Amino acid sequence: MTRSLTLKYKHMKKNRFMFQIVSVLIAYLLIVTSCSKYQYNEMTSADVNITGYLDRSPDSFSLFREIIDLTGTASFLNAYGAYTCFVVTNDGVKFWMDSVGIKSLAEADINTLKNLVRFHLLNDTLTTGNFTDGKLQTPTMYGQYLITGANYVNGISSYTINRQASIIKTNVQVGNGIIHVIDHMLIPASKSLAQSIEDNPDYSIFVEALKETGFYDTLNILTGDSITMWRTVIAESNQALSDSGFYSFAELKAKYSNTGNPKNPKDSLNMYVAYHIINGLYYLGDIINYSTMLTLMPEEVISIKLSNQDIILNEGEFNGVVEKGVKLNRSKSDNSATNGVWHSDEAHTMAKLRAPMPLYWDVCTFPEILNQPGYYKKQTLIFSRATADVYPIASINWEWKTASNFVKYTYGSSSTIGVNAINADLLEFPFGSPNRSSWIEFTTPVVIKGRYKVWICYSAVNVVTVNVKVNGKLMTRPVNFGEFRPAGTPAELESIGWKAYTRDSLAWRANARLIGIVDIPTTGSQVVRFESVSGTNASSYLDMIQFIPIDDEQLLPRFNVDGSQYRY
Amino acid sequence: MKYFSYVKITFFSLILTSILVGCSKWLELKPRDGIVSDAFWATKEQVDAAVNGIYASLLAGNGGDNRSLVDYMFVWGEARGDMVEPGFRASADELNLVNLNILPTNGFTNWANIYETINYCNVVIDNAGQVLSRDNTFNQDHLNRSIGQALAIRGLMYFYLVRTFRDVPLKLKATNSDDDISPIAKTSGDSILNQIVTDLTTAETLVPTTYSKTSAYDKGRVTKYGVNAMLADVYLWMENYSACVTQCDKVIASGQYGLVPGGSFFTQLFLNGASSESIFELQFDQQILNPFYNMQTPSNKRWGAAQYVPETVFGVDLTNAIPQVDYRGPNASYRNADYTIWKYVGADNLGDAIRTLDQSDAPWILYRYADILLLKAEALNQLDEPLEASRLVKRIRERANALELTTMDSTDKSSMTTYILNEREREFAYEGKRWFDLLRNAKRNNYENLNILITAAELSVPQSMQQAAFNKLRDQNSHYLPIFNTELQSNSLLIQNPYYR
Repeated sequence: MTRSLTLKYKHMKKNRFMFQIVSVLIAYLLIVTSCSKYQYNEMTSADVNITGYLDRSPDSFSLFREIIDLTGTASFLNAYGAYTCFVVTNDGVKFWMDSVGIKSLAEADINTLKNLVRFHLLNDTLTTGNFTDGKLQTPTMYGQYLITGANYVNGISSYTINRQASIIKTNVQVGNGIIHVIDHMLIPASKSLAQSIEDNPDYSIFVEALKETGFYDTLNILTGDSITMWRTVIAESNQALSDSGFYSFAELKAKYSNTGNPKNPKDSLNMYVAYHIINGLYYLGDIINYSTMLTLMPEEVISIKLSNQDIILNEGEFNGVVEKGVKLNRSKSDNSATNGVWHSDEAHTMAKLRAPMPLYWDVCTFPEILNQPGYYKKQTLIFSRATADVYPIASINWEWKTASNFVKYTYGSSSTIGVNAINADLLEFPFGSPNRSSWIEFTTPVVIKGRYKVWICYSAVNVVTVNVKVNGKLMTRPVNFGEFRPAGTPAELESIGWKAYTRDSLAWRANARLIGIVDIPTTGSQVVRFESVSGTNASSYLDMIQFIPIDDEQLLPRFNVDGSQYRY
Repeated sequence: MKYFSYVKITFFSLILTSILVGCSKWLELKPRDGIVSDAFWATKEQVDAAVNGIYASLLAGNGGDNRSLVDYMFVWGEARGDMVEPGFRASADELNLVNLNILPTNGFTNWANIYETINYCNVVIDNAGQVLSRDNTFNQDHLNRSIGQALAIRGLMYFYLVRTFRDVPLKLKATNSDDDISPIAKTSGDSILNQIVTDLTTAETLVPTTYSKTSAYDKGRVTKYGVNAMLADVYLWMENYSACVTQCDKVIASGQYGLVPGGSFFTQLFLNGASSESIFELQFDQQILNPFYNMQTPSNKRWGAAQYVPETVFGVDLTNAIPQVDYRGPNASYRNADYTIWKYVGADNLGDAIRTLDQSDAPWILYRYADILLLKAEALNQLDEPLEASRLVKRIRERANALELTTMDSTDKSSMTTYILNEREREFAYEGKRWFDLLRNAKRNNYENLNILITAAELSVPQSMQQAAFNKLRDQNSHYLPIFNTELQSNSLLIQNPYYR
């Protein structure tokens, strides 16, 4: 190295021209590459975290900042994470301080403050896009849920949290989550369901019933006691009860308590209270997503319906008679407690004892076809299902296959297939493994709890054998959609599980097959499922599914093509 | 010495070579793959090309998301209304529009496409004039109609913006280079509307009544009557009813347009396109397809018809043996079998065949004669002439063979208002007008009928979010979309709509 440099130097000495060029080049290179101090960005993001955001505007948030300092959460909120924080303005904190009567935050109980901070924090990033009329999908770190809504005051709409605060600034993105700025402190519920209802004198009769039946203790669990059991209570106000003729608890007890011991689960007063308690946490915004909810009264449900904007309980049609339901009072509902939420209904309601009643269900009476009077009882309509993600009929689901991408509402009594069909319509569906669906599921209308014989009524055309499951329970006899009933008297046929269900008792295609006996435990919709056994065809024709109480006449009524019953 | 000359020769020859083989125009800064503006505005063909570019921008997908303008027009006009239901391919952004849970990050609040078209218009308006001196074959007439079309489309674009966002930045000069970009503050909706009127009234004097080519050509271009139709719509939005009637009368008096027979309502207007009823429509073809194949066909359904539309909007005849059917209803606006929106994807009026992707060229009709009649009816009704208005509505209903769902009370202004709104719902189902119709009627006379929006939300917003939605709608600012996030970041003068704070 040294040698070559010396050599070069020797040359340069000889050749000044060469030396000049090289030095100019070196100088040039030095200029070009000369170091100017480059400011490298050492952070992945310049976003502030929750604590940093509070520090940026002490005018608005100094008090909230003080709270998180006092509770030792400041550093925690400055670390990475994915939180939603409801930050309270100084005015909001002052308002709270005045209400609890403290002059400075240092005076406040440290545990109260800790709980408050936890109540303002969620372990999830929720924007206003996640808000509904009900609770947020994630509980606060305190354990209770927050409910959201919107409010309109003085020409401005804003989101509300827990009916306690309005959001002033939404969806502030910070490094470790999302901040919503609110105008008041959120105060967690401190009373149990039982205490919270008891505090309201309008519900004294109901509370007395709670106490007498022992449910008061069930509902009097505060958070922190082992595992919280969320419960939803539908309380009946004194007004609602007196409208139904119960002016005092004594009258209520006299009506219901048949065993004299309300603590006995068989006692009707016990059942009355149990019927008003639901396991789980359901705000109104959640309740309306369900059509029925199971109560603590064994196997009894409350049915739910949204009519215009009202939530109506227990309105239903039984055997053609519409029974009026009771309305939930929106403004007096959604009351949070430590172990649940309670609502208030506007009238007295109680589970009804119903005797099992037959259901003669024409499967072609689903709302999707009834809504189309241009087709219903007029012409055939294909309900196509382009992909597995599409559900053209809410109450009918089936395994989607390329060859099973539709079901057909088949109308017409001109061919032998439909000549006897009830309402002149049949449900036609491609069925059978391996290329067509291997299962199809029907959700029935309401069946009252009890013991039933189940008949599948079809038009026999193509051989496809299926097993039938009712509510997942396999029935004893399979059905072959291509099988005709044998010869014999109606009584003989019944004994081997066959009957004619149409008025024309000689109709050869229209057949009903008894598939077995089923116990329906809960009044409500049931699920009937066909599963492929053998055979496959593009056209299986189903007309009716009948649930007939086992002690009832099974052969009558039969049905006319116009849908009317024939009892002779 | 020998060594020296060798080095010297090599050195100089290197320099020489680099000079010889270097760029011949080494101080030339013009791009080699395009034309700069100085060289562009030289011939009348170039002006025509620039005007065509405006129309092309209305058809094609622009901007980063490559979503076409018509896609926005459909979603802005329908999503918050009560006639559509999101399908299984609807995006979260679309569902949030339906739920009225709209955030500034929602992609459908991005107005970039509209401003891109506005800029194309501004470029023509700013530059076309200089061609007069450069190209002798370019005459004043040709210049007028070029600028007229640009003004009209700019007005139409601002009309979409003002109805969707209310207060928006007003940009009337072309953005030619990065130097022209500077933050612009919002202009109030009222000033925007006044500017639209100025633009359109100027355009009215500049564009011809026909371009003397095919009749289809005139439907796809802004003609004088197209401008009149836009003006009528704008005046109605501004609650200037007599001006609206005047503009409608100009179109009616022209005698150029009529209602197509009811029986061929679907075939002529949507299947064939360029019908005698159409005044201004966006015409798609195989080179530029409309966005509806991937939006409305059953296997790609982002949007479908709401399930109550057949029964409550169009009605179903249960009494006659041969049922009376509204020509605009089943298998025209929607398909019965699966609630597919039929106007743009249907290939026949029986509900059987669906257009294939390469046939997806149904026109997007911005204005048609029926619109003029109903705009006029609405304006007349507001001028306390419900009887006169009812006559126009009857013409529309007779053509359509409409069912009598409610009785028309032609003596009462407020019941006529509702009736006309319902008739517009039937007539322009899925033509991107529903939300604007609802909002126009709701906001009239200082929000006299806010309930219209709430009733619509009752039908379209999911049950679990309705109560919040009603309270949101009570805030008038919530009727307009927020400014998209990236716009706020890049334009420091923009202030977000206070509802979305």
